[in-house]
Amino acid sequence: MNTKLKVSEISKIYPGCIANDKVSLEFGSGKIYALLGENGAGKSTLVKILSGVVKPDEGEVFLNNESVKLNSPLDAKKNNIGMVFQHFNLFETLSVFENLSIDSDKKDEELRGLVNDILKKYNFKIDLDIPVLNLSAGQKQKVEIIRCLIRNPKVLIMDEPTSVLTEQETDDLFISLKQFSKDGILIIYITHKLKEVLSLCDEVAVMRKGKVVSVSNTINEKIESLANKMVGENLNTIKKKINNFKNNEEILKISNLNFKSDDPYETNLNNLNLSLKKGECLGIAGISGNGQNELFQILSGEIITEGTSIMFRNKEIGKLNPRERREYLMAFSPEDRISQAAVPELKIYENVALNNFKSSNFFEKGLVNEKKIKEHSKKILSNFSVNTDNVELKSQFLSGGNLQKLIIGRELITSPELLVCFNPTWGLDVGAINYIHETLIQINEQGKSSILISTDNDELLKLSDRICVIYKGKLSKIMNADTVTAEKLGILMGGGSID
Amino acid sequence: MIKVEKRNDVSRSIYFLTPVLAIFLTLFGGGIIFFILGFNPIEALKFFFITPISDLYGLSELLVKATPLCLIAIGLSFCFKSNNWNIGAEGQLIFGGIVGGGVALIFYNHDGFYVLPIIILSGAIGGMLFAMIPAILKTYFNTNEILVSLMLVYVAKLLLDYLVVGPWSNPEGFNFPETRQFSESARMPILFDGLRIHAGIFITLITVFLSWIILYKTYLGFQIKVSGLSLKTAKYAGFKGKTMIIIVFMISGACAGLAGVGEITGPIGQLHRNISPDYGFTAIIVAFLGRLNPIGIIFASLIVALTYLGAETAQIFLQVPKYTGQVFQGMILFFLLGSDYLLFFKIKFLGLKKNEL
Repeated sequence: MNTKLKVSEISKIYPGCIANDKVSLEFGSGKIYALLGENGAGKSTLVKILSGVVKPDEGEVFLNNESVKLNSPLDAKKNNIGMVFQHFNLFETLSVFENLSIDSDKKDEELRGLVNDILKKYNFKIDLDIPVLNLSAGQKQKVEIIRCLIRNPKVLIMDEPTSVLTEQETDDLFISLKQFSKDGILIIYITHKLKEVLSLCDEVAVMRKGKVVSVSNTINEKIESLANKMVGENLNTIKKKINNFKNNEEILKISNLNFKSDDPYETNLNNLNLSLKKGECLGIAGISGNGQNELFQILSGEIITEGTSIMFRNKEIGKLNPRERREYLMAFSPEDRISQAAVPELKIYENVALNNFKSSNFFEKGLVNEKKIKEHSKKILSNFSVNTDNVELKSQFLSGGNLQKLIIGRELITSPELLVCFNPTWGLDVGAINYIHETLIQINEQGKSSILISTDNDELLKLSDRICVIYKGKLSKIMNADTVTAEKLGILMGGGSID
Repeated sequence: MIKVEKRNDVSRSIYFLTPVLAIFLTLFGGGIIFFILGFNPIEALKFFFITPISDLYGLSELLVKATPLCLIAIGLSFCFKSNNWNIGAEGQLIFGGIVGGGVALIFYNHDGFYVLPIIILSGAIGGMLFAMIPAILKTYFNTNEILVSLMLVYVAKLLLDYLVVGPWSNPEGFNFPETRQFSESARMPILFDGLRIHAGIFITLITVFLSWIILYKTYLGFQIKVSGLSLKTAKYAGFKGKTMIIIVFMISGACAGLAGVGEITGPIGQLHRNISPDYGFTAIIVAFLGRLNPIGIIFASLIVALTYLGAETAQIFLQVPKYTGQVFQGMILFFLLGSDYLLFFKIKFLGLKKNEL
């Protein structure tokens, strides 16, 4: 059975972003194809189009030289295209077999026979009659795979399948995938992990900013060459003047910090070590989902750790909550500005009151001091050039840029010694980005420190004095920014290593 | 194709007017039901909503019913505003009644100004402690407060049943399932001779005023508001989430307990099996009809109290079961939720595109 899958001139435009820009690719059975790219490169959109979840604005999909309409996931199933998503779609309280029989039209005995054959053939060890919630992540993924295999798929699409797996489970998965490929199933493997591409796949298509930038045999590729293609050429950004902080006092020190989450979709952090000097900006690069969220929450106090694991200005702060950390002059600007850093339904001055510390006197003896909060808010609006002076305005009416200025302003007006920010400029226009960048450079010049967790490499190279990369919850060696290139970042972000 | 979109800006005046719209729709729907049952809808609605309050006694009864409803709903608004779904106010009311009633029985042959305050206070504490069970289970064991608080209603009901049949039943009461009558000094003072309206209304009004201050003028109120809108933000701002959950449940339980003790020391005067015609559940409707706003809740409690009275008059004059009152309460909630949906979401009807045919 020979399968040919072709996508031709596929385009999909979302408001403000071209997710797929005339993407054309060809696949044939017997090979494993990698689709490689950073977050937002357009690979997820492309596979959603192939699985019928999203309809393209333009372009066509051909299966064995015939044009197919994929208007719904059902159409994809009819055309024998199977898809395993990163997040599982299983009923936790039902048994494995019940989960498999839900969307199957076969009789129970027939289905059981079929599933047992699949289990035997691929050497899967799963008890069909225990509830799914008792399975490990790797086993749940196998259930999803079996669900596809029941339908004799011609094409099997795997969306970042190893993000929830252990090393051993990953090895098992690769063995199975190679077997499927031998059996004539066309496999498309979506990932941003470079090592996996080289060890598993035969061909690799690299996407960047909605376009396919390269298609090649993996034999001809190395980690460095793939990293370069994935991240793009190093843009000539104006770096800020990098200072030598050797003599400055150490302001923050994290030593041997571990974090283990109960939620399988969160990332565990392993043996984290970093130190930050006064006036310095430490950049933390990485592809999102590698532990940035957890790291931010550990810094902000939303996740509480052992007291001694985080020292800030020689005080143990690991056990303190965010409000208590603010008293020690820390400030935080989270990634989610719309529903975490601020509440859209609240008025500007109410959002300002969220950054509440004792000396602000926003709340005296438990009562709200509205006058004080409003005065303070007015100061923020004018000092940080937010384009309104109405503190009674609900913040949902502020544009993204103005909201971010308000948040950064709220955090900075208290003159903190350390600002931790996470993707401070995502989704903003150039003007607002420049403003935020200037502000961040300014606070370093005033001798205040900052930690910039960002998925935007240009931003990191522009603002950081030192940079490290977070990958699967581990921090790389911290490097001086002037020795870092986009290529090095790309290798580390994809899980490779440099000398 | 039908598409539902969230509206971004909902004007404040319309937000508070939709409950009024819901009430008019309820009248309209009620009219249709009466018409189908073979009554003149206008006449029937008049019996339901006008006759009960056309004399002084009726007005007093309206306030007697609105007093506990308003009090419980105010307490619930603390929980609901902060995303804590306490639906067991009925149980907290009964438990408050049990504790207050128990204390009243201890003092049954005492006289003195101190008796009533002690009873009221112990009723409030009873309700508060009972509400802390779901709160503590939620904060420390991650249980679902909806289930726990609801199930505890039946615990309280059965406990009351046991007490009035068994250990607390009136020794001179010929085995009727009820306790002794409380002593005069254990009763809420009556405000006007011949009417049942009692001093409990002042407790309700004071609670409304205090709640308004707490919700809108204090740090606790600010924390409740933020937590209700976004738990992520509350965590980021460093609010003590667990403490707050316990506090709102305590407030809510104390209010329900007060309502319970107000009933037994007010109109009832003893403990028996049915000390509450589901006030604790109906108050959920009152809280939402009043938009979780103290002033709104006052008006909502009057309107919902009227459905209790209307059901009684309708039973007498139209020979319909008194459960019509619950039908009206249900309709109010139904129309309120319906108009809220249209208030917060836009529904767009799109033509079918060619390739979808």
